[in-house]
Amino acid sequence: MRDRSRQTRTAGRRIMGPQSALTDFLASHNISANQIRLDAEARRRAAAQDNPEGQADATQQLLDEQAQFDTPPPGPEANEAAVVSAGRSTRGRSAAQAVAEAEERKKGNEKKAIDKIKASKKFQKRKRDAGGSDDEDDIIRTLFNERAKPLPGQMENCAICDKRFTVTPYSRNAPDGGLVCTPCGKELAKDDPTPKKKPKRTSGGAVGIRRQAQSKILDGTYNVGGKSLMSLCIETLAKNIDLAEDLGDLPGPIVDKIARKLSKHRLLNPTTLSLFLQPSSQEVLVYDGAKLSADDFYRIFHSVPSLKKLKVRNAIHFKDEVVDYLTTRNITLEDLYLHGSNLISEGKWIEYLQKKGEPLQSLRVYWTDKHFTDAVLAAIPTSCSNLTRLKVCHNQAVTGEGLSHIAKITTLRHLSLDLREAIHPDVYIKLLASIGPQLETLSLTRVSELDNTVLDAIHTHCRSLKKLRITDSELMTDAGFARLFTPDWSNPGLVFVDLQKCRQLESTKPRENPDSIGLCGEGFKALMAHSGRTLRHLNVHGCRHIASHAFEEVFSADKTYESMYKMEISFCEEVTDFVVGSIFRSCPNLRELNVFGCMKVKDVRVPRGKILVGVPNARGMVIEGDED
Amino acid sequence: MSDSKYITLISYDGFEFVILREAALISETIRAMLRGPFREAQTGRCEFGEIRGPVLEKVVEYFHYHHANRDQTDVPDMDIPVDICLELLMAADFLGLDSKPQMRDIS
Repeated sequence: MRDRSRQTRTAGRRIMGPQSALTDFLASHNISANQIRLDAEARRRAAAQDNPEGQADATQQLLDEQAQFDTPPPGPEANEAAVVSAGRSTRGRSAAQAVAEAEERKKGNEKKAIDKIKASKKFQKRKRDAGGSDDEDDIIRTLFNERAKPLPGQMENCAICDKRFTVTPYSRNAPDGGLVCTPCGKELAKDDPTPKKKPKRTSGGAVGIRRQAQSKILDGTYNVGGKSLMSLCIETLAKNIDLAEDLGDLPGPIVDKIARKLSKHRLLNPTTLSLFLQPSSQEVLVYDGAKLSADDFYRIFHSVPSLKKLKVRNAIHFKDEVVDYLTTRNITLEDLYLHGSNLISEGKWIEYLQKKGEPLQSLRVYWTDKHFTDAVLAAIPTSCSNLTRLKVCHNQAVTGEGLSHIAKITTLRHLSLDLREAIHPDVYIKLLASIGPQLETLSLTRVSELDNTVLDAIHTHCRSLKKLRITDSELMTDAGFARLFTPDWSNPGLVFVDLQKCRQLESTKPRENPDSIGLCGEGFKALMAHSGRTLRHLNVHGCRHIASHAFEEVFSADKTYESMYKMEISFCEEVTDFVVGSIFRSCPNLRELNVFGCMKVKDVRVPRGKILVGVPNARGMVIEGDED
Repeated sequence: MSDSKYITLISYDGFEFVILREAALISETIRAMLRGPFREAQTGRCEFGEIRGPVLEKVVEYFHYHHANRDQTDVPDMDIPVDICLELLMAADFLGLDSKPQMRDIS
């Protein structure tokens, strides 16, 4: 019996699959779960012999279990015999006899394997190392166990169809023990009523939530408290847009929000486009037209006959044919916004403006490289007599000549230019001299070549500016800005000012600025004295030479700026904790303050409901709102 | 009745919801109804002739959700049933449950 127990114990170690720490621990103390199981079986068998009627059942069950536990067998060479004998018991014979036989054969196999081990060089070596005095059996056992470990790619008999197959890590377990072959496994998977659910992705815990909040701040969509019911509904709708057949009679602004949300998820395609084409509507705003073809644009025109306002971003397929179609239809657009339409040729632009330019009030063209040219702009003054808004952004073709044509558009109120060609300041001065007085918006983006003469021209000619943007100028000086914003400038206070990156660019001596290039202290003080009361949005990003005393003076305790809503003072080196505190004190309605790269801002108390973005500390960007 | 802490919202099919006045006041429409010289202001009962019971129930749930989370950050989104999503959207529009309360305060 002792002999047998040892063997079964080694057999117990043969069970495949991960082994728990407990099993391992017990095994090291010579306690085996398998041994306990076998003892229990022996008891059961004895009980079954006492009760002959139940005997057949009990032995059959025993056999099944045996089959389950005996696989995989001790070693590759002993493999087949053991499997066949255990797995395929012949029912004709007495079951007990079969068990005995299987036991016998297994013993034989093990004996063979042990004999082999004894003969192996490894064993001899270990024995020598141990000095020959050690327990021989122990060495044999460890070596036997090493060998007994199941190898990948073993052969096995299928528990259902009895075919031989190669075991893989993906082989399924049969319902009553043993492994099944791939075809049977597939059958099993089919019958399986509960398909495995994919584990739900968690949000990533505290870090994930915090990261999401930071991302919202940077997107400018951060809010204390829950989302509004409307945005919740719109998000749900966007997620299930394939279920919607018709948006019903929702009001326009909501439809627009849905359109934005869909485009954000890049879900706008020919199918979902139909939801936004209401025959009675006057405007179609497509925020992502990348998936639309020319046919879809035709569809817009014939399903919305009273179209007045058309906006298409990523309008890749808005090409010559589409413009032709638009020209021939009885549609009079008042507002045209095209983004990325590089397939419209110069000739078609001119043709369209000549035929349909008359009612046009707003023309905005973004991201074109070749075909929106000076010649196209030349057509505007003669054909578009109602144009009030013109925006040409990321344009590589327009030069100074084009600007001289813009100067002839006397109706213009809003002008935004972002041109890649370098244009001499004198051209801008001419432009301002002719249309400056009525301009409400002047946005000149990335104009490194503009100098003080342009600022002086703005001072002289502009009378109704509300929004002013001049970015990336490397030549304008502090004195120039101070001259622009003198109290006698007859322009009322500005609402929006963006003087981003108007600063000296000198990499060798970055701190010194002897000529006061860019917006510095004096210019900033003059700006706030002139427009402080009305300013809602101020951007002086990267104006590095605004001195701290200028900030302190502007945001002193006796000054308040009621309208200020958003400020961007990133990369202004002189900004300190005190300046930030003063800004919060002086701007009671400030919502967001950006201070990226202001290294002197260390630890500021942020008042309730305000957002401070860009302070580098362990918590990331400070948000807050709990200081009263 | 009119200065009670609670008000009653009534859907067009007769469901009545009693809700904290403070929570309901985030709706521009309800605030206007309760402020003016209207019958609603005197009785504290607001009838909505265009909102169905299940939709109004969700709106009330939203009022409580918003009220409970008004000072918290990282608020989990409320669950919106897909089948009444469009109706709820209409109701939200009618009740003025749009975002941007901050912008409104200034301008």
